[in-house]
Amino acid sequence: MAAEAGPAPAGRAVLGSPGLRLSGRRLLAAIPVLWGVTFLTFVLMNLLPGNAAQELLGANATPADVRALELKLHLNEPFWTRYWHWLSGVLHGDLGASLTSGQPVTSILAQRLPVSFELMIYAFCLSVLLAVPVAAAAAHRPGGWADRLSMMVSMAGLSIAPYVLALLLIFIFAVRLQVLPAIGFVPLGQSVVGNIKSLTLPALAIGLPLACFYTRLLRADMVEQMQGEDYVVTARAKGVAPWQVLIRHAMRNSMFGFLTVLGLNLGTLIGALVIIEPIFALPGIGQVLLQSIHDRDIVVVEAVVLVFALIVVLANLLTDLLYALLDPRIRYGRPAA
Amino acid sequence: MVGRLPEALLPAVPGGPGAPAAGAAPPARRRRRPALTPGIVIPAAMLALIVGACFLWPLVYPVPPPVGGSILDASMPPFSPGHILGTDPVGNDILSRILYGGRVSIEVALAVSLIGLLVGGVLGTVAAYRGGMVDTVIMRVLDVLIAFPALVLAVAIAEGLGPSEMHVIWALSFFSIPAFARIARAGTLRLHGQTFMLAARLSGTRTWRILRRHVTPNIMPQLVTFALLGAGVVIILEGALSFLGLGIPAPAPSWGNMIALGQGTLSAQPALVLIPSLFLLATVLSLNLLGDALRKRWSVR
Repeated sequence: MAAEAGPAPAGRAVLGSPGLRLSGRRLLAAIPVLWGVTFLTFVLMNLLPGNAAQELLGANATPADVRALELKLHLNEPFWTRYWHWLSGVLHGDLGASLTSGQPVTSILAQRLPVSFELMIYAFCLSVLLAVPVAAAAAHRPGGWADRLSMMVSMAGLSIAPYVLALLLIFIFAVRLQVLPAIGFVPLGQSVVGNIKSLTLPALAIGLPLACFYTRLLRADMVEQMQGEDYVVTARAKGVAPWQVLIRHAMRNSMFGFLTVLGLNLGTLIGALVIIEPIFALPGIGQVLLQSIHDRDIVVVEAVVLVFALIVVLANLLTDLLYALLDPRIRYGRPAA
Repeated sequence: MVGRLPEALLPAVPGGPGAPAAGAAPPARRRRRPALTPGIVIPAAMLALIVGACFLWPLVYPVPPPVGGSILDASMPPFSPGHILGTDPVGNDILSRILYGGRVSIEVALAVSLIGLLVGGVLGTVAAYRGGMVDTVIMRVLDVLIAFPALVLAVAIAEGLGPSEMHVIWALSFFSIPAFARIARAGTLRLHGQTFMLAARLSGTRTWRILRRHVTPNIMPQLVTFALLGAGVVIILEGALSFLGLGIPAPAPSWGNMIALGQGTLSAQPALVLIPSLFLLATVLSLNLLGDALRKRWSVR
């Protein structure tokens, strides 16, 4: 990496680069998107019939009781007042407290996010670690047996629903073989092995379809690079070994498309959490989201949506920065082809 | 009736399996590739088989009703007399539930893909063709929709309006629209610099005619392949909503809620999960294979 950075140290080159300015612009452009997402959520939650007070007290509550709780939770105030109250709180770094439990939202997030993050990272690592070598093996000889086999398997993997895969994995590994637990979560502090075991099946259920998607994507791009690009011809003519051309030249260039998709795909990963967590009874953010929508707990829903949107935005930003790191043309402000 | 995605969409595009005439092209034109390769025919036939079974079989060959079975027939294993695939714990015939449930899954997939194709396609084309403010406004709104966790919206709609087939279609359409719009926009932008577009405009062709006669046929291949791949995703998502109890309400069958219901008896009766899962897999797989084959054929990226 340092070799391509030329005389200037890589770090400073990245910091002062148009690549970073581009990222800064993207970050600024993300602010209205973040605002739009939270505003839309607020509107949506207000359109739902019922409110937190009614959900909390149940169907048998007297109207007077509901009214009293509504007053206490400020649910009687007009939409814009409540929205402004929430927004100014967030801008001051205060996410508020849950309408149903009174617990500060930050402490709910602190409790639940680590579980979901661990699962996401685990699934993400599994998918990338599986996809990259398989894609390389497939692209090495397009049309060969490794290529055909991996393309067939990955097509099947793409077509399987994550929840079906989850049930299948539970049936095989928990019911029949009894080697991994079907439900429950063991915190990292309690037992490292137990923690990894409790997250393996959910991570596989999320990660395997992703791995299939990544494999196909990376393989297609690498095959294209190998067939048409001048630098591949040059490298071959110089007598670079085929594997070297594939890994050091084609794959490095294929990483751009791959990174973009990785960034964009985080949204899918988050969606999968909401479905997979309840199946494995994992105390993560997905369950909180479902429960809080059901309870009309608008403060918690907003916080979770904000976190999700932030993750997507930051992931895209990170992608941009990685671009600059990988591609000297972006780093030095020359237009990329 | 909404029932047949490939048959309904493909005749509009040259070379699709719905347009066999394309294979018999005039000999004067050099034939590049046969119109119907096995890669296209096999998944298309599989889809036709599944769709045909779901919509026609119950009409031709009577099956027991999918709901309201007798508890006396409960939990019969596959290949029982009168119940080829067995019965579930409340005594409903599984084959019948698969067929009727398939109707729901296919209807939802078709409706969502069509709504996405039409609304998203028009939005994306107009955004790219008009440019400027129109483009910015449309794409910003769609950006928000994309950044919006789609499942939150779907869950909220199902929670607020109550679970039903119509509401599932509604909820899922919301996130098929931005994707179609982006593809249509990118496709239209690529056409912008082309000579034939310039020629059309210079010769005074009206905007709507340019969009209909020049832009639409050129971006259709991308949109149709995406619609096929997207339909598979929609079928999976419909099941996901059912899994959360927010899809098709319980006694009525859909593949998704059959899988979700079977979860409780996974160790005792895995067939309750496996059978609908297999149908789901076969449908999504053939949609994916067909989409992929058509993409290669039309060399769409």
